[in-house]
Amino acid sequence: MSINPSAISVGIVANPVSARDIRRVIANATSLQVSDRANIVMRVLAAMRACGVQRVLMMPENGGIRSLLKRALQREQGLGENSFPELEMTNTQISGTVADTFAATKAMLDSGVKAIVVLGGDGTHRAVVKICEQVPITGISTGTNNAFPEHREPTITGLAVGMVATGRIPEGVAFAPNKLLRVDINGGERSDIALVDIVVSTERYIGARALWRTENLRELFVTFSDPEVIGMSAIAGLLKPIGRNDSGGLYVSLAVPEQAKTVLQVPIAPGLIRTVGVQSWQQLEAGIPVILKQSSGMIALDGERELEFGPEDTVQVTLHEKAFRTVNVGACMRYTGEHRLLVGATLDIPIS
Amino acid sequence: MNENMFPLSRDELLQVYQTMRTIREFEERVHVEFSRGDIPGFVHLYAGEEASAAGIMTHLRQHDHIASTHRGHGHCIAKGVDVKGMMAEIFGKKSGVCGGKGGSMHIADLDKGMMGANGILGAGAPLACGAALAAKFRDNGDIAISFVGDGASNQGTFLESLNLASIWNLPVVFVVENNGYAESTSVDWAVACDSYVDRASGFGMPGVTVDGTDFFAVYEAAGEIIRRAREGGGPSLLECKMIRFFGHFEGDAQTYRASGEVDDIRANQDCLKSFSKTVTASGVLSQADLEACDTEVLSLIEEAVSSAKAAELPTEADLLTDVYVNY
Repeated sequence: MSINPSAISVGIVANPVSARDIRRVIANATSLQVSDRANIVMRVLAAMRACGVQRVLMMPENGGIRSLLKRALQREQGLGENSFPELEMTNTQISGTVADTFAATKAMLDSGVKAIVVLGGDGTHRAVVKICEQVPITGISTGTNNAFPEHREPTITGLAVGMVATGRIPEGVAFAPNKLLRVDINGGERSDIALVDIVVSTERYIGARALWRTENLRELFVTFSDPEVIGMSAIAGLLKPIGRNDSGGLYVSLAVPEQAKTVLQVPIAPGLIRTVGVQSWQQLEAGIPVILKQSSGMIALDGERELEFGPEDTVQVTLHEKAFRTVNVGACMRYTGEHRLLVGATLDIPIS
Repeated sequence: MNENMFPLSRDELLQVYQTMRTIREFEERVHVEFSRGDIPGFVHLYAGEEASAAGIMTHLRQHDHIASTHRGHGHCIAKGVDVKGMMAEIFGKKSGVCGGKGGSMHIADLDKGMMGANGILGAGAPLACGAALAAKFRDNGDIAISFVGDGASNQGTFLESLNLASIWNLPVVFVVENNGYAESTSVDWAVACDSYVDRASGFGMPGVTVDGTDFFAVYEAAGEIIRRAREGGGPSLLECKMIRFFGHFEGDAQTYRASGEVDDIRANQDCLKSFSKTVTASGVLSQADLEACDTEVLSLIEEAVSSAKAAELPTEADLLTDVYVNY
């Protein structure tokens, strides 16, 4: 198979600061070390190189991943190994904020990457989706609750992305469409998106961002509700499971547990099961806006408090289908196996 | 106030604002007085970092202990040390909280649980472990806080204290006030472990990173960490990412900072501005409430400076007092 090297590049956005919030104390959430994140990137790089990916564009950061990768790649080179793609940092500013993710994703788009691999929690994935347009993304969970990225060994994610980027998987198999939620305040004066859930709480401050005082929650919107995930969307998952690929989402009206019609025990964070009061729930139809009932409070996007609103504001939430694409890692690997794409002593890979 | 808008009552929010505003005005005034040459020794100012001191100390009781740093004025004020006594101390006067013999870097008030600012970097952490060990033996529910900067977090005393606190399960909280610079050296260059949460994990304790310029972020995280320590859950580390408005010390030319950096953070990352915006947007406090508080604080600082200037210096006879303590 002949490969045009200039065409085969993949982007990687690895957030060095996910999994650092208060849930390390209020729950037994993981503290994935920076060195573990660099190690995950190395696994992805090796798998993609085995498929023929020659160039990887990565978001620069000062959180430690970049310097650890540089050291690891130098050591591999010292050993005479050449099993990694060329790693290049996007020429973007480092501010230590989400702006870095926006800028790097835009640079990857401009450079024509075939896909973007995201290491982070739901918030990191959300930031990439805001920019990535039709470029498919694939997630590796290095955050806290991680309802959006599927949990699997990163080597497999790297192989699937490598097979897709080198054109070995037909488009109909390679990609999956995804839903998202859009929140608009005062007809778009302020807008944002969520990939999994939007929660409305009575609080009027962002504070430590994570949500854990379930008595303050009033409304919940989800794109999908999986009883196998933790976090806010687990509330919906334990009421009415809806798949990522199913049509529609779910809207749940919440209340203080003592005043609620239904009381649920919900895993809202790692090891943290909390009582949640539910008034009612109903199917959320795509394209039909729902106006919030709560007159003031805080809107949390994918589990993090983000947008404050008051009685003077009109807030609406709309579900959108086929909003962005992900690499369907499971389907790609099934196709790879069924068609014996990795059979052979070596792959036909040009060595740079 | 309607349902659960804030974790604090209206009066408590006003008290928080007063504490932060007092720290700010205290530091701005010391900056001016130091430049006039009226203050002996060095001063390191806490302006810009008020949300950390207030967010943490709001959870403390009088007998909880804190061990501060060389940049200690904010910790002292938030812990309840007398503002006039502090100003007199900084001016080196006999009416100061330490008789004028400590100065800025050694302000202490044991009655308030303030074990001292400290001129030796990293030296506060073992003191906090000692106070926490005493609280544990006395079983009185008290806790201790060790404040440290990003630079001093590399000191052996600090790292040994993390280990000791963990193996003895001490009711102590290690607060890393990461303002980005160890004097003039960037944290990105000087701290081998890129995340303080990783560093805490290495010593077997949880770590949390918060935006140290957001009072509510610090308040929420500190509240959970301090409750955990009080209830026997052992030590934790809290990293507050923050900025300082002034140089490392007064007189620092700050050539290591980018042009316009200070103007930008004063405009966009001022913890007092963001706190004011949040509480007034919700209608819990009005602009007039805050302005009345500002006037009161300015008057207090003015009195503190004029009384400090008018006070007597310590005499030769005071030289050998407070040297030894009888137990």
